[in-house]
Amino acid sequence: MARIQLENVKKSFGRVQALNGVSIDVKDKEFFVLFGPAGAGKTTILNCIAGINLPEEGVIRFNEEIVNLVDPAHRNVAMVFENYALYPQMTVYDNMAAALRSNLYKTDEATIKEKVHAAARMMKMENLLERLPSQLSNGQKQRVAMGRALVRTPNVFLMDEPLAHLDAKLRNAMRTELKEMQANLGSTCIYVTHDFMEAMALGDRIAIINKGEIVQIGSGDEIYYMPCNEFVAQLMGDPQINIVPGKITEAGGAYVFSFEVHGQNITVSMPEDKELQAKIREAGLKAADMGLRPQNVKYSFEPEEGYFKTTVYSYESIGNKSVIQADCGEYQLRMIAPNGLKVQIDQEIYVRFEIDHSMFFDPQTKEYVSRYDEKSIKAFAMEQEVS
Amino acid sequence: MAGLTLKNIYKRYENSGKKKKKQQNDYAVKDLNLLCEQGEFIALLGPSGCGKTTTLRMIAGLEDITKGEIFIGERLVNNLHPKDRNIGLAFEDYAMYPPLNVYGNVAFNLRAKGVDKAEIDRRVREIAPLMQIDDILDKMPVKLSGGQKQRVNIARAIIREPELLLMDEPLSHLDGKARQSMRVEIKRLINKIKCTTVYVTHDQLEAMSLADKIAIINFGVLQQFGTPAEVYDDPVNEFVASFIGEPPMNILETTIIREEGTFFFTFADSNLKIAVPSRYYSVVSDGFRCKMGVRPMDVLIGGEGSKGTPEEIATFENLGDERRIGIRVGDMLLMLITEDEKRYRSGDIIKLEVREEKTHLFDIETGNRIREQA
Repeated sequence: MARIQLENVKKSFGRVQALNGVSIDVKDKEFFVLFGPAGAGKTTILNCIAGINLPEEGVIRFNEEIVNLVDPAHRNVAMVFENYALYPQMTVYDNMAAALRSNLYKTDEATIKEKVHAAARMMKMENLLERLPSQLSNGQKQRVAMGRALVRTPNVFLMDEPLAHLDAKLRNAMRTELKEMQANLGSTCIYVTHDFMEAMALGDRIAIINKGEIVQIGSGDEIYYMPCNEFVAQLMGDPQINIVPGKITEAGGAYVFSFEVHGQNITVSMPEDKELQAKIREAGLKAADMGLRPQNVKYSFEPEEGYFKTTVYSYESIGNKSVIQADCGEYQLRMIAPNGLKVQIDQEIYVRFEIDHSMFFDPQTKEYVSRYDEKSIKAFAMEQEVS
Repeated sequence: MAGLTLKNIYKRYENSGKKKKKQQNDYAVKDLNLLCEQGEFIALLGPSGCGKTTTLRMIAGLEDITKGEIFIGERLVNNLHPKDRNIGLAFEDYAMYPPLNVYGNVAFNLRAKGVDKAEIDRRVREIAPLMQIDDILDKMPVKLSGGQKQRVNIARAIIREPELLLMDEPLSHLDGKARQSMRVEIKRLINKIKCTTVYVTHDQLEAMSLADKIAIINFGVLQQFGTPAEVYDDPVNEFVASFIGEPPMNILETTIIREEGTFFFTFADSNLKIAVPSRYYSVVSDGFRCKMGVRPMDVLIGGEGSKGTPEEIATFENLGDERRIGIRVGDMLLMLITEDEKRYRSGDIIKLEVREEKTHLFDIETGNRIREQA
């Protein structure tokens, strides 16, 4: 197992700059997730680590040693792909044993048998060893692909959306197992995904990538509670975070957030948070985008103190709960509601913000400024990382 | 008034080639009965290969019916040509005419019918804002994003003012975010035009969020037909129970035991013990074997002084909005969801409580719901 470092790695394909100065430092035994939209450069990073792509600039280190010029076979990495890439004519056993039988490893059959069975036990597929890939379900194929990676003791596991092809039920189950498995192995793992739930559930740390650049690196909690800009805030969380454009004004030490709903001006007084206020003063934030997660927007179907009136744009179930979208003219608000409400489209609804859970962004640069309870959230995130 | 009626529909694909001549294929659709009210939104939901698209194609007239009758409104349409059935179609891929701009694509069908120009223009202008394509009317198909193409596709289906709108996985080509917003748009659109709609999907979330009623199909057989709340809260069998809901319902094999007059669910290699709701007492007995189903939302972490069973956490997933915890029960994993902010670690011990009244019983062989006797 190894520590993997990338320093200022650049890679272009023709005129397309796929990676534009990527630096990451993956600790030994860490589960590190690369997360971003399609085309962000996630897979290119993985390929650079594996040696499949050669970066034009920058250094790649395994355990402090520069490996830029080491060919893929000698980097001792194990890759798992989205589309399994199994040998169709070989049984599961032979698929798993293939790498160990290669010229590079030349392991004797007794050891191979032992290792294949150990890996099969771990992946709970001992009963499948005699089957051909064509006789397996997709979930089983993916297990074999992972099992094949497990028989060796690689420097690092590189996984490229291994669960993307599986149906929802299987994906849930495999995600849970994968985390358990990695913890047991104590191996370094770099995992590419565009699914935020996978990123949150699996990653010790997550690197957010967009347009070939690292946008933010941190634990799931850090990124969820303190996203470095609106782009990251919108990536993390389903349904998406609400971004409400408005103004912050101060009068005699008390702060007020005001925003428009269908052209009507609404003001909400902001509970005191000295640090937040200091940050807002420091940044000179007048106009501000407020970010508020859907679970922190409350609703009522009767007029109530502190609620403002708007209309229902849509109401839909997302499984064990539902989302109400309210139309506010220039933007829409998403909020969490229980299933089975009698809600009509375009009916009136009254909405309140739990503003003491909000975060604020600069409306020009879209960069994060500050949020409520930042200090305690930072402390909380630190505690998670240490443990 | 009925919008669409399917009566005892069967479909069998005939084998071609001499070899297989004697051997009959199994039915792709078996004895399907559906009644869809005027203006209702029906989803046909099931895994791939279950016969849902075949059913849709029979309604559209693109596929022969082996046995049975289909009525659109009051008309028997079995022998009607697709173009005479007065239906609108929107499929997964867009099949647009590349040399025509968006306006031309939307208007094409009316032009072919010989509707006069002013009327076509009036209808296109009426529908364009509904589908939010008013600002792209003069663009060519190649310039459009997937979401825009699907909007044009649906606009084209509804401009004919069909009696029945048929959609086959219209959102499956779109990425997550576009899919979410299109889902909302489709719902608003149908709400506005009040057209009877049949919608095919394999995504339970789409069916749950869009449909007035869901028909769940497996191996060509209708499993359950009901509102989203009915199929979620009152599934007829294990298949429906595990197909609806994300994460899926926990379904565990159990042996029921009797202790001092109370029945409990017990599980192999586990100390977990859950009381059986008393309404099932007439159908269970000591040593009765079945499967128990409970949704992850109905499994709870007990607080101080809880009487729940102490269990070790096997897996902990922090998903930001919620947290999921897995508990080993024998060789199975019992999942629970919590919005509690507390972070656990695998190995921690929690008191496990189950909302007993929310448990379901399923037959171990057939998977059918075991219900209390009325």
